[in-house]
Amino acid sequence: MALEDYRADALRCTRCAYCKWIPFDLIKSWRFSKGCPSVEYNHFHSYSAGGRLVTALSLMDGRSTVTEAVKESVFKCQMCGNCDVTCKMCRYDMWPIEALHELRFRLVDQGHGLAQHQPVMKGFRSLSNMLNKPKSKRGDWAEGLDLKRLSKHKSKLLFHAGCQYSHDPDLREAVRNAAELLKKAGVDFAILGADESCCGGRAYHMGYKADYQAAAERNLKIWADAGVETVVTPCADCYHTFKRLYPESGSSVAVIHMVELIDRLLKQGKISFTKALPMRVTYHDPCYLGRQGEPYVAWKGKEKKIFGQAVVYDPPRPRYNGAKGVYQPPRDVLMAIPGLELVEMERNREAAWCCGAGGGVREAYPEYSMWTASERLEEAKSVGADALASACPWCEKNFADAATRNGTKIKIVDIIELVYQAL
Amino acid sequence: MAFSKEAYRELEDIVGERHISNDPAFLDSYAFQWLAELVRPNFSHYMPRPVAVIMPACTEEVQRIIKLCNKYRVKAKPISTGWYHWAAPLKEDEETLQIDLRRMNRILEIDERNRYAVVEPYVICAQLQAEVMKLGLNINIIGAGASTSIVASACAYAGMGPSSFWMGNNSDNLLGMEWVTPEGEIIRTGSLGSGNGWFCGEGPGPSVRGICRGWVGSRGGLGVYTKCAIKLAHWPGPTEYQVKGTLPGYRLPIQENFRVYTLAAPTWDAWADIYYKIYDNEIGYIFHRQYALAGADLGPALWLTYIDPEKTLNDVEEAVKRKDIQDLTEELRISFQFIMAGRSIREIELQDKILDQILKETGGWKVQRYCEKDMAEFTNTYMQRLGHKHMNFVWVGGYLGSWMQTGTPDWVKGYVPVAIKGLYRDAAGGNLVQCGGDALMGNGSSIAGGGNMGLEQFVSYDPADNASVAAGTQHMRDAIVDAVANGFPPGKEAMYLQVGESDEQIWNALRRTPQPLAFHFQRKIKEAFDPNNVGDRMYATLPSEGKP
Ligand SMILES: Cc1cc2nc3c(=O)[nH]c(=O)nc-3n(C[C@H](O)[C@H](O)[C@@H](O)COP(=O)(O)OP(=O)(O)OC[C@H]3O[C@@H](n4cnc5c(N)ncnc54)[C@H](O)[C@@H]3O)c2cc1C
Ligand code: SF4
Ligand code: SF4
Repeated sequence: MALEDYRADALRCTRCAYCKWIPFDLIKSWRFSKGCPSVEYNHFHSYSAGGRLVTALSLMDGRSTVTEAVKESVFKCQMCGNCDVTCKMCRYDMWPIEALHELRFRLVDQGHGLAQHQPVMKGFRSLSNMLNKPKSKRGDWAEGLDLKRLSKHKSKLLFHAGCQYSHDPDLREAVRNAAELLKKAGVDFAILGADESCCGGRAYHMGYKADYQAAAERNLKIWADAGVETVVTPCADCYHTFKRLYPESGSSVAVIHMVELIDRLLKQGKISFTKALPMRVTYHDPCYLGRQGEPYVAWKGKEKKIFGQAVVYDPPRPRYNGAKGVYQPPRDVLMAIPGLELVEMERNREAAWCCGAGGGVREAYPEYSMWTASERLEEAKSVGADALASACPWCEKNFADAATRNGTKIKIVDIIELVYQAL
Repeated sequence: MAFSKEAYRELEDIVGERHISNDPAFLDSYAFQWLAELVRPNFSHYMPRPVAVIMPACTEEVQRIIKLCNKYRVKAKPISTGWYHWAAPLKEDEETLQIDLRRMNRILEIDERNRYAVVEPYVICAQLQAEVMKLGLNINIIGAGASTSIVASACAYAGMGPSSFWMGNNSDNLLGMEWVTPEGEIIRTGSLGSGNGWFCGEGPGPSVRGICRGWVGSRGGLGVYTKCAIKLAHWPGPTEYQVKGTLPGYRLPIQENFRVYTLAAPTWDAWADIYYKIYDNEIGYIFHRQYALAGADLGPALWLTYIDPEKTLNDVEEAVKRKDIQDLTEELRISFQFIMAGRSIREIELQDKILDQILKETGGWKVQRYCEKDMAEFTNTYMQRLGHKHMNFVWVGGYLGSWMQTGTPDWVKGYVPVAIKGLYRDAAGGNLVQCGGDALMGNGSSIAGGGNMGLEQFVSYDPADNASVAAGTQHMRDAIVDAVANGFPPGKEAMYLQVGESDEQIWNALRRTPQPLAFHFQRKIKEAFDPNNVGDRMYATLPSEGKP
């Protein structure tokens, strides 16, 4: 699709502002009613999904041009998708998050990509990761674990660690735990080690579609050559990229998040808990596993009108309103841990507040990114949680950084670590 | 003096550079408004572009901004959440500063004992309701729903909703406000004005409700309301809005002391009788003809599709062909939603008995399918918080309201057949959504206790299709002709059309109203409070023409 394909969305936006809040029925307090970090931090309507639709329209109509302010308004957004859920609460003909992507693609194509993203993109192109780390170090996390390498063995199941888990020493324990857990459960899998490269999802979200496409094609070829049928990943970003974006690039590989697999293994009795973890834990739904983690449904069609003017699609278009995200497996896993008390934050599941790391925001707007994470930490504290658990390394990293910065006394944990400790 | 770089700099000094912008794309996001395309030249979706947008954080900043608007002779247009085209600048030829109040977003006080809350303009209904429910209290949420500003509906525009029957109109619920006048004075009204707190809107202290508010409101044309106190009603429901189920059809379980019904009548006469009997017997909590907005021919197919998370709008096409849906459609032709809340089980049982007797006497009935658990719980969710009001636009993103003349049920039922016939006729060409001639939505009463209500014809058009937009505009003109030909005054559509009209056209219309003197009176108010004409023209006035 092109930006012009979302022109009608812009014209049909009613400026209702639903995209600035969580679904109204889920609001339980003044404090935690807001849904869009971008507009909460930056205030102007242009920093909301509805405002960006107008920006797109105004640019398409030649009423305005790409200024620094416009660039900032387009890129200072985590692509968290809350707006997409809330807009679709009452609308079947609006596709805000897709339109926001197209607006970014357009700006990047026209040479208006953010300067702050350039070092990351350079690293992505030359080092195949989003952290500017040496390519050769990517497999170091698996040292001493004796894991099968896809370069040497064929395997139907690939464990993809992702950039953040692979290169960040603070997160290494979680990904090592994941691999050990799979071994313990007798799961036959392989890794790519130093040959693993970035999924391309974060490049996509920053607006670099061609770069994403190149990454997708490269990864899909490697997987096909090795006979991979299923990919499991502990990273929510990678999960979304493989699950939702790769099929558009021709993938038919099944995708599962590590937490879904743990849930299955628990329910099949292949792993079980022996130790109690007496702690009060709240779970943060990563945007790309939760509301944006819905399964891909192939669709190619067009708009048609019924009853005179009502808009539908021929054939019916998949809804992607967040209803079918991965919400229950992580909760079931946590609730199965002896002694652990799971408490929900006010904004959960489809209404979860973003961690602040997505959409290239962590890289380009650190202050805003930290503010967004801090808001979530406050919410976690408000329910008396000892620990905030998540299922995405980007969320965890951002929360941990914000907690250190603010001196917030709450543990940031990976759900895999909790599981591993309780085995 | 025009809006200069110097003016911008002075404004920037007030709020800091982060909170002011004159970037054209940013300004377009304020100029862009739904309904604009119906009245603006060349189907433009934009109202006039403001010269800048500024976001003050407190009353003092608002005051300084307004004083600068007077100094530079720039119009000032406040916006709270901005869900209406008259929140944007209205005059092409006069420079307007948009004052976006979203940084003023605090609930300042909830006085549980005296049952009021004090809020700033960017507190929305859903937020305040969630907070006061914790205390067993509630607010009247206007028909526009959970997303709207309380200050806007209490101080600046309209103010009625499905709960007004029980809780009153927000114009009545206004217990005082802080008003930055068009000259930049700060006036605190009612008891607040005499230093006695927020408990009474009329005093002791200055009472300006009629000047600022009245029925319609000054709509951003007479300064800025920076705080207000709103009266709270009792809430015998849960302290937390705990919905279940999957979006979009969330469901609020129905407590033992609540009843959630959809009621139907055999004729419009019986419908009016039911309304009067409900008023007389003082039963009910939420009272609204809500689901009719989707049109009497398609409504049931739409709503039963909507509450099923697996379905999309495509499924409505199949649903309307189903025999059970067709039967239901007939059953629901003259129907409305009615929620009763008892302070005790005995009280709700009494209300139930009274309602049954009313239905017996009028030939009305409870619509079984809509009273089943799934639909009743959804109705409970929808009506108590009004968090799905964007459904007004569900068909295609464009809706306009025609008719909506308010009066007694006996009077309103008089225009129902005219409105129905008119919409069938205007939609026949296929440029409007063909959902049935009766898409008449409206509250059971817009004032507490009953007696005054209205029905608004929901006309859906595609804002992305000029032929459809043109049909919408034509429908508005037709509705006026229909109204006048049948002895009714022009309705809501006349207000919409005015946005695109010249001052002379508006004055001509105002001169023809039964009491043009009222608009001369408003001119005098305007001259007294707004000598530099800083407010925009939605505060309706007539030029002096030698009149006092
Ligand atoms: C779909 C829809 C349905 C509606 N149905 C109803 C209904 O059933 N009942 C009802 O009462 N109203 C209804 N309205 C109108 C609604 O009351 C107004 O749009 C409004 O008050 C909503 O709040 P807002 O925050 O969007 O106001 P805005 O759009 O921000 O403002 C509305 C008007 O008030 C002015 N204003 C706003 N804030 C201030 C302030 N602080 N000081 C001075 N002027 C201010 C603005 O300039 C504008 O003219 C409906 C509107 C929509 C869009
Ligand atoms: S994008 Fe959707 S939710 Fe946001 S203002 Fe537009 S219509 Fe409303
Ligand atoms: S994606 Fe998230 S941050 Fe961006 S506009 Fe939507 S809700 Fe706001």
